[in-house]
Amino acid sequence: MFHWLEKHPFFFAVGVFVAIAFAGLVEIVPNFAEASRPVIGTTPYSTLELAGRQVYIKNSCNACHSQLIRPFKSETDRYGHYSLSGEYAYDRPFLWGSKRTGPDLMRVGNYRTTDWHENHMKDPAAIVPGSIMPAYKWLFTNEADIDTAFAEQLTVSQFFSVPYNKPVPMKDGSNKIVEMAGSVAEAHAMALEEAQVVVADMKDQDVKDAVASGKIPEIVALIAYLNSLK
Amino acid sequence: MNKLYLWGIIITAAMLGFTYVSVGMSKGGLNGDIVNMLAVAGAVALVIITVFVVIKYVRQMQTDTAQGELAEESWDNIGEYKNPVPFGWAVMFLGTMVWGMWYFIAGYPVNAYSQIGEYNEDVAKHDAKFNAEYASITGDRLVEMGESVFLAECKVCHGLAADGIDGKAANLNVRLEAKTIKYAINHGSNNHLLGSEMAMPDRNALFNAATGALISDEEIDTVSDYVANGMSGAGKEIFENTCASCHGMDGKGMDYVAPSIATFTPTLVTNVLNHGKKGAIGTMPAFKRLNAKQKEAVGAYITNLSK
Repeated sequence: MFHWLEKHPFFFAVGVFVAIAFAGLVEIVPNFAEASRPVIGTTPYSTLELAGRQVYIKNSCNACHSQLIRPFKSETDRYGHYSLSGEYAYDRPFLWGSKRTGPDLMRVGNYRTTDWHENHMKDPAAIVPGSIMPAYKWLFTNEADIDTAFAEQLTVSQFFSVPYNKPVPMKDGSNKIVEMAGSVAEAHAMALEEAQVVVADMKDQDVKDAVASGKIPEIVALIAYLNSLK
Repeated sequence: MNKLYLWGIIITAAMLGFTYVSVGMSKGGLNGDIVNMLAVAGAVALVIITVFVVIKYVRQMQTDTAQGELAEESWDNIGEYKNPVPFGWAVMFLGTMVWGMWYFIAGYPVNAYSQIGEYNEDVAKHDAKFNAEYASITGDRLVEMGESVFLAECKVCHGLAADGIDGKAANLNVRLEAKTIKYAINHGSNNHLLGSEMAMPDRNALFNAATGALISDEEIDTVSDYVANGMSGAGKEIFENTCASCHGMDGKGMDYVAPSIATFTPTLVTNVLNHGKKGAIGTMPAFKRLNAKQKEAVGAYITNLSK
C-alpha cells in the first residue's frame, strides 16, 4: 500500500491531509458538539419575542450593545453569569455585537423591567443622566411584524429542529413547552395574548389602546424580547 | 591545505567582520551594555560553531566509505544498512515516547490553561480580599459602601438623588409616598418585606374597628396622607383602628407579621433586593447577584437616607 501511495502523489497528499486533519477532528468536534448543545434553561423564542428580536436587529441595537458576558469578575459583577455557547443555541443570527457603546444586554431581563424599558425608550437621558442613547419614539407607533416572526418559527422548527411544542428542560428540573401556532391567524392571537401581559405593566395609553384593539406596537414586542434575555 | 578549510576561514572572517562593522555602526556600538555584549558573543559563537560543523560533515561526506550489510528492502533503489540504532538516539526516542504518554494522560489535562479556571481563581481572590477588608465593617463605612453600591446598581432607576426620577421609581428619601400606600390598600401587597410574612389583604378585608365597616375611600386618602407625612396629622385614629393591628401603633411593624411602614430597616431592604417588589409604580427586579454584605450596606444607606 505504501509503495502504491509513493507512486501516486495526489492520493498521498490526500492521505497526509486526513492524517493531519484527524488531530483537529479529535480536538475540535467533540468539544464543539458538547458546547453548542442548548444549555438547560435555554428555551426557543416565542412569536412575540422573535418579532421583538427582529425589531432589535432592525434598529441595530447590536451596533452599540453586546450580548456576550466575558468571564471576568468585573463583568460578572455587573451583568451576571458569563455567557455559555449553548445559550445561543436558538439565536439565528447570534447578536454578540462587537462594541459596547452601551452596556451588555445578555441578561437584561434579570435586572430591568417592562416599565423601566418603556420610560427609557421614550427618553433615555431622563432615566440615565448623561446617556447618549437616542430616543426610540417610533417603536411606540410602528407595528411589529408577527407574520415574519411566525415564518421564522416555522422555518427553524422544520430545518433546525428547534423544539417548539416540545418539553424543554428548565433549571429547576421542570419542563417548559414553548408553543408555536398552527396557522398565521393563531400566531397573531397567541402574540396578542403575550402582548397583553407585557402591556399590563406599561403606562402609555396609546400603546394600551393599540393592543386592546388587536394591534401590537414594536415596543411591546421589543420589551417582550428584552425581558426574555436572562 | 584542503580547499574546504580555506573557505571556512574566509567565510568566518567575512561574517565576523560583518558582525563587527554592523555592531560598530549601531547605537551604543561595541561599548554597549552587558546584554549587547552577550548578544555579540552569541553571534560570534554561532558563526564559529556553524562553520566548524559544516566543515566536519562535508569532510565526512568526502572521505567516508559505506560499511555494513544492506537491508533487503529497497525504496526506488535507495538501500538502507542494517546498522544498529545508536544507543543515545534510542534512549532519546523511548524517553520521548514516555514523555508523550505522560503529557497525554496527565501533563496536559492537569496543567492545561482554562479561561474559566482563571476566572474562578480571580473571583476567589477578589472574594477573599473583599472579606478581609469589608466583611466586618459597620456604621459610616457601611453606609459609604451602600452608597457606592447604590450608585452602581440602583441609581439607574431610583436616580442619583434616590428621588425616583419624577415618579419612575420609588422615592427612597421617604419611607412611603401617599400613592404607594393607596395602591397597597386598594390592591393588597405581597412583597415579602420581612421574608416570610403573610400577604397584606386588599381593601375588601381591611376593617376599621371604630366604625365596624370596611375602610372607605375617604379614610384611605386620609390614612395614606397620615402615613406619608411620617405618622402625623389627621388620620391617626383610622390608622390605629385599621392598620395598627398588624403594623403596630407606631407603624414600626411586628416581627413575622408586618413590616415597618414608618421607617426603612436594613432587613426590609435586603428582602426587597432578594425578592424584587411589585407596587404602585411598577415592578422592581430582584438583585440577587449582590453579596450579603453589599445588600446589608444598601440597607444601611437607604435607612440612613430617610432619617
